Amino acid sequence: MSTSAVSLYLDPQIRDWVLFPITLVMILVGILRHYVVLLLQSSPKKQPRAAIREQRALARSQILRATASNSPLPPHFYTSISRHLSDAFEAGTYLKDGPPKGDAPSTPPNPITDPAAMDGMMAGMKTQMVMMVPQMVIMGWINFFFQGFVLIKLPFPLTLGFKSMLQRGIETPDMDVRWVSSLSWYFLNFFGLNGLYRLILGSDNSADSSRDMTASPFANAGAASPGQPQDYNKLFKAERDNLQFSEGMYSWVGKDIENKVLSRYGKI
Amino acid sequence: MATSSPAAPSPADAAQLIYPPNVLANTSLHTVKFLSSCFAGAAAGILGLENLPGFALFLASTLFTAGCIHSINCKGASLGKYLQGGVWELVNPGQDNAFTFVLVWTLFYGIVHVYD
Repeated sequence: MSTSAVSLYLDPQIRDWVLFPITLVMILVGILRHYVVLLLQSSPKKQPRAAIREQRALARSQILRATASNSPLPPHFYTSISRHLSDAFEAGTYLKDGPPKGDAPSTPPNPITDPAAMDGMMAGMKTQMVMMVPQMVIMGWINFFFQGFVLIKLPFPLTLGFKSMLQRGIETPDMDVRWVSSLSWYFLNFFGLNGLYRLILGSDNSADSSRDMTASPFANAGAASPGQPQDYNKLFKAERDNLQFSEGMYSWVGKDIENKVLSRYGKI
Repeated sequence: MATSSPAAPSPADAAQLIYPPNVLANTSLHTVKFLSSCFAGAAAGILGLENLPGFALFLASTLFTAGCIHSINCKGASLGKYLQGGVWELVNPGQDNAFTFVLVWTLFYGIVHVYD
């Protein structure tokens, strides 16, 4: 029968020289990873004024439409802005290359040949490599130096299937699965330090290991490329229709405000 | 804590009434949950709790933290006024904090009970 009543005595030096150092190293490497990713991120490319103007025009009309049904703008402001934007979208005055010539339909730039989209994909892949490499290095370091001895006892039980992973290097068929080697301490730290990183580095940190496993270079590339080939002419036409629709839905919050105030004070 | 006007008529109008900087201020809730799971882990480890009592302590500490936040910070009011996600957002410790609890629990259990 398994002797779960017998407990092993472990040298306190293991605690001083293995337990704390592994944790400390992992915390520091996580912080280092975060700052390396921050330094590797190239600043966004400066776009010409015309390109920014066309993006901002779209944003302006969307902001206007977002609060149309409870709008803080009085009617004359709202209708004048809405009409101005509608006419501008129709005539194409905000387009990056000027009003459309009308002869050939514009084609969106190819994402592979477009240099701006390639930069986005490369940046995504670079950050993925930076995330992967320290994990591999630390695992190799632990496997090399801290192998072959029991480190700690887990307070909760696990099935026998975990024995081969968590007790790697310790060839005892009978020992309780709760006595584990340093690699399992690495895994515990790997998962458990995310909360600490969120506390120290803020919620948008790059040291988060849970994000490594869900993201992949292709997900980053897929998210970066659709932003580029957008035909602003078509978007402006669609936005114009939306503006007309919102104008129908428009209602000022201050409508009949004089009656509301008077009725509140009982004058009506 | 975040505040939004009550009695929003429709989902789009309700979304318009939420004040973004206050929603960002709700990240203090995450910090509180993380710290409470850390201390719960330390307590479980020092007390030497094994499998089921240890997780029961984690559950109890989560509920207790949620209760404290509800009565002290939210002043016992309905949660729609303060949190966008309702009761589940208040109680849910999240995957990060569960693993943090296990890590700190193992650490303190090892320091106090395994090593001499």
